Amino acid sequence: MKVFSSTCTFDYSWDEVSTANWRKYCPWNDKVTHVVGVDTLSRTVDSKTGILRTERLITCNQSVPQWVSSLFGGSATSHVYEVSYVDPASKKVTMCSTNLTWSNVLSVRETVVYRPSSISPTTNTDFTQEAQITALCGGWQKIKNKVEEASVERFRENAKRGREGFETVLEMSRRVFGEQRDLEKHLQ
Amino acid sequence: MAASIAPECNETKEQYDTCFLKWYSEKYLRGNTKSNDCDELFSKYKTCLHKALKEKGMDSMLDDARKSSSETDAEFLKKS
Repeated sequence: MKVFSSTCTFDYSWDEVSTANWRKYCPWNDKVTHVVGVDTLSRTVDSKTGILRTERLITCNQSVPQWVSSLFGGSATSHVYEVSYVDPASKKVTMCSTNLTWSNVLSVRETVVYRPSSISPTTNTDFTQEAQITALCGGWQKIKNKVEEASVERFRENAKRGREGFETVLEMSRRVFGEQRDLEKHLQ
Repeated sequence: MAASIAPECNETKEQYDTCFLKWYSEKYLRGNTKSNDCDELFSKYKTCLHKALKEKGMDSMLDDARKSSSETDAEFLKKS
């Protein structure tokens, strides 16, 4: 098993980040063009805690390294199942994802958390991401290591691009919400 | 907003997503967690999506995945 983890801080409030997070994969984000579909499977609010639970199916179209596809075959389309929890009381978003495609040879489990920054909680948001990547295929350890390493590398690239793209979404969201507020004020 | 895996569901999905985002930012985050403004739109979108997933033969794979979420539910659905 290999672990990939990263942290960063966004210069936006938790309210803004947790809202923009729902449109992380929208046309504003031109860095995640490999994500071609985001579908909501279920959504419920726990009546006792107020926690919002959402299940989504994320569909990606991404080429894989030649040697990987020649080993395992398979198409370029892959699916990820994500279940997320928003706790409005403690201001915490947790998103847990697992791969549905190739799950018999590779297990990728990712957990992402958004929380108000410990240093400036009203204006900034801390982001942490951790992924556990395990090759399940039988056979040589050497091959398993190779598969895991290639997956971690791909994960690292996507994580970086995802973060850059999310910055654009945050910026656009702030602008659009601002314009909307101005318009509403104007109309009152 | 991102597209649906099923193009025929895009329109209802777009309507639902727009409704949800408004509800999330204007009501849910402001403490009104019990409101259900978008239920009707969601059920329309869900009907379309479930039909498409069944046709694509993805429903059983998703059912299996959904069963495995009990672990994270136990951890993250509790009051912190």
